Amino acid sequence: MESHALINPEIALLWAGIAISILAVVFWPNRGLWARWRRTLQNTRRVRIEDALKHVYDCEYKQLTATHKSIAGALSISGDEVARLLERLEGLNLLRSEGEMLTLTEDGRAYALRVIRMHRLWERYLADETGVSETEWHYQAEAKEHLLTIEQADALAVHMGNPSFDPHGDPIPTAAGELPERRGIALTQLRPHQYAEVVHIEDEPTAVYAQLVAQGIHPGAHVRMISSDKNKIEVEVEGVENILAPIVAANVAVVPVGRVTRTEKAGATLADLAVGESARVAGISRACRGPQRRRLMDLGILPGTLVTAEMRNAAGDPTAYSVRGALIALRKNQARMIHIERNGANGV
Amino acid sequence: MNAISNDDILLKAGNLRWEVGENLHDSLMESLYTEASRIADRVVTRSGAPGRFNWDRALDKLLTGRWTGFPIMILLLMVVFWLTIAGSNVPSSLLASLLLDTVHPVLRSLGESLSMPWWLSGFLFDGVYLATAWVVSVMLPPMAIFFPLFTLLEDFGYLPRVAFNLDHLFRKAGAHGKQALSMSMGYGCNAAGIISTRIIDSPRERLIAIITNNFSLCNGRWPTQILVATLFIGALAPPALSGFLSASAVVAVALFGIALTFLTSWFLSRTVLKGEASTFSLELPPYRPPQVLKTLYTSLIDRTILVLWRAVMFAVPAGAVIWLISNIHVGELSIAEYAINWLNPFGLLIGLNGVILLAYIIAIPANEIVIPTILMLTVASTGVSGYGEGAGVLFELEDNLQYLSVFQAGGWTLLTAVNLMLFSLIHNPCSTTIYTIYKETGSVKWTLVSSLMPIAMGLSLCFLVAQVWRLATAGG
Amino acid sequence: MNTAQTTRACETCPAHNVANLVKLGINLEGTDYVVALAGNPNTGKSTVFNALTGLRQHTGNWPGKTVTRAEGAFSYSDKRYKLVDLPGTYSLLSTSTDEEVARNFILFGQPDVTVIVVDATRLERNLNLALQVLEITDRAIVCLNLIDEAQRLGIAVAERTLAKDLGVPVVPTAARRGIGIQDLLHTIHDVATGAVIPKPKRIVKHAPQLEKAIGSLAESLQSKFPGLTNARWVALRLLEGDDRIISAVRTGEITSILSLTELPRETVGEGVLE
Repeated sequence: MESHALINPEIALLWAGIAISILAVVFWPNRGLWARWRRTLQNTRRVRIEDALKHVYDCEYKQLTATHKSIAGALSISGDEVARLLERLEGLNLLRSEGEMLTLTEDGRAYALRVIRMHRLWERYLADETGVSETEWHYQAEAKEHLLTIEQADALAVHMGNPSFDPHGDPIPTAAGELPERRGIALTQLRPHQYAEVVHIEDEPTAVYAQLVAQGIHPGAHVRMISSDKNKIEVEVEGVENILAPIVAANVAVVPVGRVTRTEKAGATLADLAVGESARVAGISRACRGPQRRRLMDLGILPGTLVTAEMRNAAGDPTAYSVRGALIALRKNQARMIHIERNGANGV
Repeated sequence: MNAISNDDILLKAGNLRWEVGENLHDSLMESLYTEASRIADRVVTRSGAPGRFNWDRALDKLLTGRWTGFPIMILLLMVVFWLTIAGSNVPSSLLASLLLDTVHPVLRSLGESLSMPWWLSGFLFDGVYLATAWVVSVMLPPMAIFFPLFTLLEDFGYLPRVAFNLDHLFRKAGAHGKQALSMSMGYGCNAAGIISTRIIDSPRERLIAIITNNFSLCNGRWPTQILVATLFIGALAPPALSGFLSASAVVAVALFGIALTFLTSWFLSRTVLKGEASTFSLELPPYRPPQVLKTLYTSLIDRTILVLWRAVMFAVPAGAVIWLISNIHVGELSIAEYAINWLNPFGLLIGLNGVILLAYIIAIPANEIVIPTILMLTVASTGVSGYGEGAGVLFELEDNLQYLSVFQAGGWTLLTAVNLMLFSLIHNPCSTTIYTIYKETGSVKWTLVSSLMPIAMGLSLCFLVAQVWRLATAGG
Repeated sequence: MNTAQTTRACETCPAHNVANLVKLGINLEGTDYVVALAGNPNTGKSTVFNALTGLRQHTGNWPGKTVTRAEGAFSYSDKRYKLVDLPGTYSLLSTSTDEEVARNFILFGQPDVTVIVVDATRLERNLNLALQVLEITDRAIVCLNLIDEAQRLGIAVAERTLAKDLGVPVVPTAARRGIGIQDLLHTIHDVATGAVIPKPKRIVKHAPQLEKAIGSLAESLQSKFPGLTNARWVALRLLEGDDRIISAVRTGEITSILSLTELPRETVGEGVLE
């Protein structure tokens, strides 16, 4: 019974191999035919219109002037294409052009704000409720902002508790299209020894953003200017010294703070605590967001809380800490987000 | 007085939100806890001597210690499994002799005395009743032992320590330490294992635990593994060693299941589930002496009865289908035989056969009835004489030799046996489990992934094993 | 005459919000009062539930065990009570489903009594939730559970001081051994029938900037919805962007919910008694 009517095993394996290769070519993430097809579908006329409006709005917000050239640069399209695009925008009564200078109409501004709202909401969503890595937020939101409907965006906002800021510290326009004034100064403008809180990080260009993320700079982080000249800027970020190129530092907006708050002095984190040692929590790093942050606070991990490392897994991770009477195990990567003050623990 | 409208208030609130900034929640929690600790300081007095012996910490040292933690854990799990297997033999056979050997004939003769048409009594008693009774008699005793034991460990506070001990392994696979518990629960029953993933509060890790729970060999699948291993694998060794060899084969399959759990968890957390949110928190509650009698009662009500009830609800239609496809004839052959003939080429290609595939399709409600269904279908399709009780009637055999002769009549080889063991481990979850997955995730997408991924894996693996096997044996 | 009767009748009238409770899936048939059971995970909340109802709900020593809402019933002094076990949560302010279920039940269901089960051995962490519940509802009792365990650990809790600080009755219990359950039943009865009226002290102080925002918003709320009992709490929720509250303010539903205790009660009671 085995032998008759059976396909030769070599041929069977060959066919299976061919089938798998075809599936791989079609469905491979990001590079497969399916993914490519989806991408070309997204790259429609709507995308260009929205990107152009966003660019002009962005220029107005920063009090710069949008021109034909700047649009060509931002959208990486040719001058001819820009001309055609602007013609269409003016036809739709979204934009006015006076010579080189471009200004948005009321409708155009409302449209741009809608797109920005979707972009920032989506970034916020990715930051708070997904495991998507920080460097990918902007990229994914760039695509998503053109796909969400107004209803979907509102539902998303409701779901997240109507957030006011995106994870880069930018305000999210409300459904009615309101947006507060821009705040903060560039990091480069800080005087030596001045303390400040990061309120915003420009998420473009991506390479610069990735570098800032890698250096631990995030909205809410406390920084102290050490020295600055035209070649390099030396700052202390959450207790760690960093050197930035001025062009990179210019992408960080800060608000000077007067007093030395607790977080920034602390270099040590909960992960540094040896078993049996106690310390007081100085603060939870801003990089810890969303449900993760709320859960830690619900568990009673807040500035001033006395924490004792009770036992460590034989493999070194996780560690159980006693926090306000309960024994709570945390992983190392979480413990690193919790800044501590060791000498504060003596008072107990 | 009502000069301002409701919307004005909301607008004002919206504007104030920009001002209070992002730290609102933080500062809120801080003031709440400050107040809580102020009150607690006022009302709580601790009189215990500071150097007092701390039982909890001492137990923790023992149960999570470098040298003691793992041995104790393995020992406890083994005791639980042993008690389950050894303890359920007797009640299982008692139930079987009551429900299958006593009640079933009584029902049949009742049908005759009422002069029911043969198809009605066949459909009701041979189809619906028999499949349901089968599921109950095989499923109830082990679950009634396993779940209370597990619950006792849970109530004592031991299970969170297991999660603590194993977390670093699960972390590397992108999963949560608490998955160790849903996995262990899965050895009792996958549906119960999936319900138990509720303790995992992180969405991504919970999905991983749900999707991979199927690789924990549930107690409906152990008998299949043991039977096939004894008949075919054990026979390879001299009689003195055959018991050991077949037992090792079963353990190897179970360990392969664990390996697959980690592998799949790792794969899922890096691909499909990459974007899902992930949080971790594990509270290790104080040890509390379990209330034994209460636990026995509540875990019986909460877990055993719930799971059994769902299984029965799915066994009823399955019994009906099994009986119907064996008894409805189109021309010469029954529907079952058509299906077997149609499935056979593919079945043989992947080292199984049409009977086995059909059995897995129609016995989807419970893995417990896979072997009886295979027996019944084999006898019906090959026409072996001397066995069975008629078309569509599930049955069991007296001894292993009888099983062997039926299977050999069905054309089984060592390859069929190996692939059946693999396929029994890696195939779609039973319908009770699928339903439970849907209930727990509330998502068609994840239910489909959890159902289709293992079947695709199982079919591919069987295919691969069959081809390699044939290449190897053709050469020699 | 009318007023006198109303006041007397009201002492025994239930306060719960019938329409919302039915919406939340609670069957009120043959029930005089609705009691909610809130508490942190692992405080023996389910044990209290079992001790009150005689039901055998499973009580795991494992946070997050009661995922679905369990219901039971009991009778005390000729009144029939429905007891609803809410999911065990650490807080009511986060956005997890459990917390939403628990919060919405207390807020919109307006149970006649909310029993907050706290662990006497870990009071500080449990008070965090208790304070949050007391921000929402007046009709609350604190059940100080696990006092046997506290005693074993040499922890003494001055329950009178606690009751005074919180402004609500505090009943010490050891539910596993049935200690204090009669007291708890009695206190539930007292609060449900209005014989005892808890006056929770809302004393949590926030950061100055936040206090300013809350104060100004609460003032607007107060002038728009006079009689709102906890305008400050509503203001805080608005500032947090809580959508359920935003829509309740938008539609004006907020008045019927939060000032309910101030309204003549028989209008609410009618639905239950028929």
